[in-house]
Amino acid sequence: MPEKINFTVNGVPRTVEIEGWERVIDVLREKLDLTGTKKGCDDASCGACVIVMDGEAKRSCALPAKKMEGSDIVTIEGLTSGKKLHPIQKALIDAGAVQCGFCIPGIVMELYALLTADRNASDDRIKDALSRHFCRCTGYEAIFEGAKLARELLKKN
Amino acid sequence: MDFKYIGKNIERPDAVKKVTGKSQFVDDIKFPGLLHAAILTPERAHARIVSIDTKDAGSSEGVVRVVTGKGCGFRFGDNVKDRTPMAVDKVLYTGEPVAAVIARNPHQAKQALKKIKVEYEPLPVYTDALDALKKDAVLLHENSGEYWHLPGIGPVAGTNIADRYTLKKGDVLKGFEEADETVEGEFIYPFGSCAAIEPHGAVAWFHEDNTIEVWSSSICPFVIREDLAHTYNVPVSDVRVHIPEVGGCFGYKSDVTIEQTVAYLASFVPGHPVKWILSRKEDFISSLIGHGIRTRMKIGAKKDGRLTAIKAEVYHSTGAFVDTGLHVMRGSTHNSTGTYEFPNCLLEGYSVYTNTPPIGAFRGYGHQESQFAVERLMDILARKLGMSPFELRDKNYLGPGKKTALGENLWETNGDVKKCADIVRKAVFSSKKPKEDKEYYYGRGFSASMKSPKGAPFSSKGCYLKFNVDGSVSINMGGAEVGQGLRTVVRQIAAETLKIAPERIRVYTEIDTQFSPWEWQTIGSMFTIQGGKAVYRAAIRAIEKLKQTASCVLKCDIDMLEYDGDYVFLRSDPSVRVPVPSLARGYMTDDGITIGEVVQTTADARLPRYSNPDANGQGSMGVTYTFGAQACELRIEKKTGRIIIDHFASSFDVGRVINPRQIRGQVVGGVMIALGASLYEELRFSGDGKALNPVFSKYRFANLKDAPLRQTVEFVETPGEIGPYGARGIGEHPLIGVAPAVLNAIYDAVGIDLYSIPVTPEKMLKAIEEKGKGK
Repeated sequence: MPEKINFTVNGVPRTVEIEGWERVIDVLREKLDLTGTKKGCDDASCGACVIVMDGEAKRSCALPAKKMEGSDIVTIEGLTSGKKLHPIQKALIDAGAVQCGFCIPGIVMELYALLTADRNASDDRIKDALSRHFCRCTGYEAIFEGAKLARELLKKN
Repeated sequence: MDFKYIGKNIERPDAVKKVTGKSQFVDDIKFPGLLHAAILTPERAHARIVSIDTKDAGSSEGVVRVVTGKGCGFRFGDNVKDRTPMAVDKVLYTGEPVAAVIARNPHQAKQALKKIKVEYEPLPVYTDALDALKKDAVLLHENSGEYWHLPGIGPVAGTNIADRYTLKKGDVLKGFEEADETVEGEFIYPFGSCAAIEPHGAVAWFHEDNTIEVWSSSICPFVIREDLAHTYNVPVSDVRVHIPEVGGCFGYKSDVTIEQTVAYLASFVPGHPVKWILSRKEDFISSLIGHGIRTRMKIGAKKDGRLTAIKAEVYHSTGAFVDTGLHVMRGSTHNSTGTYEFPNCLLEGYSVYTNTPPIGAFRGYGHQESQFAVERLMDILARKLGMSPFELRDKNYLGPGKKTALGENLWETNGDVKKCADIVRKAVFSSKKPKEDKEYYYGRGFSASMKSPKGAPFSSKGCYLKFNVDGSVSINMGGAEVGQGLRTVVRQIAAETLKIAPERIRVYTEIDTQFSPWEWQTIGSMFTIQGGKAVYRAAIRAIEKLKQTASCVLKCDIDMLEYDGDYVFLRSDPSVRVPVPSLARGYMTDDGITIGEVVQTTADARLPRYSNPDANGQGSMGVTYTFGAQACELRIEKKTGRIIIDHFASSFDVGRVINPRQIRGQVVGGVMIALGASLYEELRFSGDGKALNPVFSKYRFANLKDAPLRQTVEFVETPGEIGPYGARGIGEHPLIGVAPAVLNAIYDAVGIDLYSIPVTPEKMLKAIEEKGKGK
């Protein structure tokens, strides 16, 4: 049976009717047109669908939609203000970390959760976070460099 | 040569949209009245379909239509028309669509799918070419001899051989008689998935006016367009294919993959768009997979190290259909010599029908599979000759004055493999190797490599270039951007040639067969060389048009004029000039009368004199090669068998580096894919043809922690004669030498010759234990 839930996405309060089978990613992509969150697998392995929920990086393909009730969600669409890129986005571009771009939204959100919680996150913590994401294009070198650059840019902000 | 924009790190034109999540991939596009497909795949890899009961599914909630392949009266394909959009009366592999539900939402479609009942009559299953080749093997395609195919290729009737190819050069028997030493081995490069993070997906829409429209995560819109037009008997111009942003390709989004299946479904519900986005499992087994190649190879040399002969047999488990796989086998076979000149060659390749998903392109296109064999054998031969592996290779490298197995002459402008080899040798072998310690064995290994495009004689790429009224430029092409950065390359080549800042050149985003110039497919690491040349030619033509109009305005001969991006001016008196913007739409004179052509040009480019093979399997089928060398330093953890790559070095003679940051990204990313294949990845099938690990949680995909601790990437720039500004291809090349470099390093570390990949920790540990026991 459909059920009504309330939550906040990118600062905007939303009320949505959900079906029991729906996952968070279905609600974001199909009901709210937030297609920046990507689906790369079905078993929460690749990280393309990562969003930030109540400050934590979460895999939206594995979360039942019900879990959104009362939560505060940030998606990739919530990081840019007007045309101004978030420093994490800028850093990934500057480091040459963007190739096909399909894994990038998930990686941006992973770093957003990590660097919001800890602006001085160590290289090892960054590595731990990024090693939960698959990228087939870059071989990870530029992504890791971009993450370190993001940490520097955020310190300056 | 001094360049203003070539060789600079110009920013990707698509980067901002990608980091903000605003790029539109196929699953992101909204359609009115969209219907969703779910596909039923069989429990058996080879069986006759006795019956399909779709009644309950048809009356399930939200279901619009249930479709099966029963009665499907056509086969399709580009090389051999042996493919069907769904299983007709037999299933040939476990990823094959048997039935489909079209419903209002994906959940309803999946629910209904569970209600379909299929009865099968099992047939023997072959997952390896050698089994399917056995005399008493049941035929996967009973009528393969009747399939339409391009001339000179295709199945051998009455067998499971789907295509075979033989290359003869010199006299191989005599060559081995002359040899003082020979070595041989059987090498296995197993099945793998290109595994782009964006799975395959497509939308097909049969309109009421008989036109067909398709959106797909593909890199070959024009092949899809022509194939669908043929199947549905409509003019090619009535099929429109859109390619939005593509989330990685690595080979398996080339050729027709899932589009014919989605179109077949959509043909039952005209007026409605139908979408199928593959789950990861479907992406593994219902699209195309890679490799599946067994290479038996023997090489011989004189005492002084001069190679005398090579014999290779390439067995390709090509899967249920050969259409997309046969050229992988052919490329693998004729490039199995690697970077060495063998005066006598007998190279034979067999694509064999097996009950596995069809093989398609995988970045490297057959080259890494068979060069794995030759590069391992070169190390083993050097040992037998008591010679350094570098010295043996140096004596035999292809280069100016030498001939490839195909009989093509090589010139200095084909590049310098020796220079690349020296670079990686210095990077990896000039320091002292660490001594074995309590925890680790240490090893270093080397491999050279080469790759030809392996395209088609008619392969070409087109460019539409338009000067705008403010002097900015718009460029439209048919090349698929899959992350490799071709839009940046187009921008840089256009900027350099037109002498305009890159920011004033806007490069196309999506491809649309209605507006884009024709291109065969974006394959073979050919975009920079062919597409770049098309851009160059279109730009030169535009400059000519500007000068033509300017010559009327300035009342002088064309060859008296110069162009600098802002003005066309008189060479002898630059103050006599006309601004470029005023020429773009033709030049309006004082009284309003306008003269001259609108400055928009078209151009295309293909490789010169690319040919079909002759009776000996030889011919001009490489045309352009990129040579390179790779080496690695690794550690083997004694306790676990785990292999850690401490340093990986790559060098390629790319002719000209267009964008240093992008080209490093290509190499580092390519190396990582091949390290994955060498150490972790394999798509495994059980004896009865079931995929054992078609999900990311079981398919060991390399992550950041698996990356080499250090990478050296350097380029040699010996300009070529074909590509723009001397550039050659690089996209696929970084994968080719990786497996042999790693396995040569493993020998160096523990004295064990391995012949197959992936070398998982378990496999490594077992090999070390067996060696310890003296097996």
